[in-house]
Amino acid sequence: MTTAHFDGAFTDGWIRRFAASARATEPELTALDQQSGDGDFGVNLNAGTTAALARLDAAGPPDAAGRRRAAGPLDAAATAFLDEVGGTSGPLFGLLLQSLAAAADVEDDRLTTPALAKGVAEGLAAIRRVGEAEPGDKTLVDALHPAAEALAAAGAPTPPDQALRRAAEAAWQGVRDTAGLRARLGRASYLRERAADVPDPGAVGVALFLTSAGGTVTALTPYLSPAVS
Amino acid sequence: MAAYFGNAAEDLVPDALAGFARAHASLVTHDTEHGYLLARDPAPGRRVALLSGGGSGHEPLHTGFVGRGMLDAAVPGRVFASPHNRSVYEASVAAAREDGVLHVVKNYTGDRINFGIAAERLARRGIPCARVLVDDDLASESEEIRAGRRGTGGTVLVEKILGAAADSGLALDELAKLGGELVARCRTLAVASRAHTAPTTGGPAFELDAGQLEYGVGIHGERADRARAHGPSSELVAEMTGSLLQTLAPSRGDAVIALVNGLGSVTPLELYGIFGELGRLLDDRGLDLARCLVGNYVTALDMRGFSITLMVADPLVLERYDAPVRTAALSW
Repeated sequence: MTTAHFDGAFTDGWIRRFAASARATEPELTALDQQSGDGDFGVNLNAGTTAALARLDAAGPPDAAGRRRAAGPLDAAATAFLDEVGGTSGPLFGLLLQSLAAAADVEDDRLTTPALAKGVAEGLAAIRRVGEAEPGDKTLVDALHPAAEALAAAGAPTPPDQALRRAAEAAWQGVRDTAGLRARLGRASYLRERAADVPDPGAVGVALFLTSAGGTVTALTPYLSPAVS
Repeated sequence: MAAYFGNAAEDLVPDALAGFARAHASLVTHDTEHGYLLARDPAPGRRVALLSGGGSGHEPLHTGFVGRGMLDAAVPGRVFASPHNRSVYEASVAAAREDGVLHVVKNYTGDRINFGIAAERLARRGIPCARVLVDDDLASESEEIRAGRRGTGGTVLVEKILGAAADSGLALDELAKLGGELVARCRTLAVASRAHTAPTTGGPAFELDAGQLEYGVGIHGERADRARAHGPSSELVAEMTGSLLQTLAPSRGDAVIALVNGLGSVTPLELYGIFGELGRLLDDRGLDLARCLVGNYVTALDMRGFSITLMVADPLVLERYDAPVRTAALSW
């Protein structure tokens, strides 16, 4: 597929694939989070995507002309994560989705590569404002920051599917790099060096979301192994 | 729950909110879906709504300060736990005026995050939002604590004075700036001789050795970083006041607002004795004890302890402090 922008049917499919990826990898996410946090990240992520699916289904099919706002499914998923997920990282995901929806709104309701870059950059900024996390703190920022840079570098000439692939690759590299970091914030910070070799589950969630734009992720292991890039 | 009079630990907050809303029906309305309180009859001249919230267990904070002259909305969380961002967001949307909403947030990580997420959502909806972060607790001031000083008793004074300022029609950025200035000239220290009773177990949250007290406690039943001998109040209050004044560094003749606050189960008899000591110490330093509050305003369930808050005030701050207020816990 090479298209200059994503429409509502695409963003709807993206959220559905994200939900399928979250479901398929929940045991692995839970195992990761048990080593570094309180073990609820996989469950919280699935609570968010499940609530998002319910909202997508409630929104019904596209209108008679076959059109669907690109922002619609992203806004629905944002509200699901913001309203219905406990803990911290679920609502922070909601902020990323909300910023993507806002960017799609501005770009004539089409998700172009520059709109994606803007949405992810603003989502990153919002998450950093709220969570007060910086790159290197071993949080989801460590996946989102390189992804935002990859999207910004891609620019308008790059089709959005290709730009998202690069962003996902950059995010997975960021995920693998978190395995070498020591947490300074959040629950993992109390474990100090005991959680040192484990990648951050929140960062994995970001990479899962970006990869799900192109397909469903069924297992984390290939992405977490340093041999794969 | 053995020690608590309630139905179940998780029902303490919703049951109390429903009861509060009925007892003070002339002052507040209760949104049961999202669990917040709104002022029934806020001042019409306000351009900015004032909203606060945070974990429960600190009553009368914040619900007791909803009404004319103070808060437009309060969003309580579960006991000692931050409210969900959705409740903060929904309450903010319901309360917002033409120039938006000001969040008064005590400095705790969970509150910062949940109020922060709500603020991002309000921005998406086009509702202006700013924050005053209250971090008045002197005991948690340390280079090593990245989270910074906690927010405690000073919150009451900040909310009262900001309320009067909001009633006079100040804009959002002006109120946020004023809030920061008020916090900067306000510090609190708290001590406790007995932990609160944990609602889940019915037992004390921690044990203290006989004859000891915790010096520098917060309002969530956490221990202080040091214990000291429990001696006469004259010595204890002198040590606390000395630390506060050293940090605030007022000049001779400066006006001071003092809050002697019970943390839950210290008697009024004791609180007034403590206030008497404080008044003498301020007199000796040549300070003008201009206004005072003595009583339970920011509690930690039934912790047996008290806090002293001092705020250095100028004539405008005193004028705003004196402005009329009609809430369940403050009224003049």
